[in-house]
Amino acid sequence: MLTLGIDTATKVCSVAICRDEEILAAYEINMGMTHSEGLVPQLEQIFTRTGIKKSDIELMAVSIGPGSFTGLRIGLATAEAIAYSLKIPLVGVNTLEALAYNLPIEGILLAPILDAQKGNYYLTIYEWKQGEIHEVDAVRVVPGNELGTILAAYNKNVLLLGECAKLAGVLPCGVTCAPCTVSMPKATSVAMLGIKQHLGKEDRQYFGLEPFYIRRSEAEELWEQRQKNLVKSDE
Amino acid sequence: MAEKDIYILGIESSCDETAASVVKNGSEVLSNIISTQISIHRKFGGVVPEIASRKHIENIMPVIDEALGQANLTISDIDAIAVTYGPGLVGALLVGLSAAKALAFANDKPLIGVNNLEGHVFANFLSGENLQPPFLALVVSGGHTSLLTVEDYNTFKLLGQTRDDAAGEAFDKIARYMGLQYPGGPEIEKLALSGKKDAIDFPRPLLPGSYDFSFSGLKSAVINYIHGLEQNDKEVPKADVAASFQAAIIEVLVKKSQLALLETGLKNIVLAGGVSANKALQDALDIGAAEVGARLVHPTPILCTDNAVMIAARGYYMYKNNEFSDYTLNANPSLKLGAK
Ligand SMILES: [Zn+2]
Repeated sequence: MLTLGIDTATKVCSVAICRDEEILAAYEINMGMTHSEGLVPQLEQIFTRTGIKKSDIELMAVSIGPGSFTGLRIGLATAEAIAYSLKIPLVGVNTLEALAYNLPIEGILLAPILDAQKGNYYLTIYEWKQGEIHEVDAVRVVPGNELGTILAAYNKNVLLLGECAKLAGVLPCGVTCAPCTVSMPKATSVAMLGIKQHLGKEDRQYFGLEPFYIRRSEAEELWEQRQKNLVKSDE
Repeated sequence: MAEKDIYILGIESSCDETAASVVKNGSEVLSNIISTQISIHRKFGGVVPEIASRKHIENIMPVIDEALGQANLTISDIDAIAVTYGPGLVGALLVGLSAAKALAFANDKPLIGVNNLEGHVFANFLSGENLQPPFLALVVSGGHTSLLTVEDYNTFKLLGQTRDDAAGEAFDKIARYMGLQYPGGPEIEKLALSGKKDAIDFPRPLLPGSYDFSFSGLKSAVINYIHGLEQNDKEVPKADVAASFQAAIIEVLVKKSQLALLETGLKNIVLAGGVSANKALQDALDIGAAEVGARLVHPTPILCTDNAVMIAARGYYMYKNNEFSDYTLNANPSLKLGAK
């Protein structure tokens, strides 16, 4: 299944074309440039250089979070408009799962993390078993300074993926950062995971996905807090 | 041979409306879909950027799909995609812009980046009035108060603009201070109907020798007046405050417009931007223009606030002028009038 993948959840801007388990083309930029300026030009180049026709693409896969809210929306709006135009199904892929998909290795826990602002991280724990990826613990937001303790408690070797560079010096024994060659979000993993998720599904939606924000907007949280305080002061 | 019909798909997401529209030949509106978020932002007393962006991404493709459907066209029938790239909220702009760029790319259609303020001015071409450049334009919105001349369909010259608060901003801030609900402009207008406009003598900042505006002094005067009464436990005559404040703003806008009409010798003035929906402003400007031998044109109510018809209409003239954007086009939250 010829699939176009997009990942703009972090500062990496990554696009790829895969056919089933084969990577045909991948193009990623990790220099902090704005996705708005770079994403469509990267798509244009990948099609020009491969000679693949847009109309031959059969599936659109996009990384839907967690990640940078704005980055996720740029990727999703782009993916929806492409799926809609080419009349191909659209699948949203969990960004952390796609990171764990970069490294199909058994016998250790994979802990993809992404910056969740204010010193926090999004964290999910995965494990590969018999060639399949399994979620060991669901996504949560954890403070960076508690990450080491949380991971040490698994009493297993843990490999961090994603935005872990800042933590390299403070990790407990048994917990290490994966090398950058497999640690970066990759649209190839998004595309391949997308194919897997889509297999056997008949539905054909071009839009209607929502980014996986996990957190509400700050304004909503503050508003709710104010309402709670009001109720308290009434009592 | 008759010229080929041109169909432009317009997309707008600069603030709290997600909108898409198909316009034929810059003048015939085939669809005008607007998904408004006003009720969502009301409890926060104003537009919350992150919430606006979240609603935009939810609505953008359904709104575009509906605009094409209502026009009885598919994306492949469209000649170009016009999209607002500024000014506005950056996160909000990026949603419409990303969708527009991907539509242009996937369908090999030209992309046209449109300035939202220029769009507001061009809403007047769809007012049903016979209107051709050159004319004077008064843009009055939450973020802008500007006077400019529209010399032809693609040349704009800024005469003056606000040095501090925009007129719409002053409306919103006073409304908020008086405890009126968001959006404040229409609330003040409603309240003013039952008040006396000469009840309180608020300052009319005219900045002689310039076409610039300044409304922060007026805003402070109104707030000080209310505050003074509250300090003395006196009741605030809200309707009179609203009427007198609105009258002060309108008088400044009309006087400056009259000066500009006389000096430029232009015979038409158009009103544009969110505040152009204000009926008292329309009436005063209508009379003011007639006093100096000119005519006022203003958009129909549905085209006063943000919409995609005006973006498609502006896009049509840019299409005719071969003004296209490439895929690196980025959102520009502080885009100026007439800027390229
Ligand atoms: Zn606007």
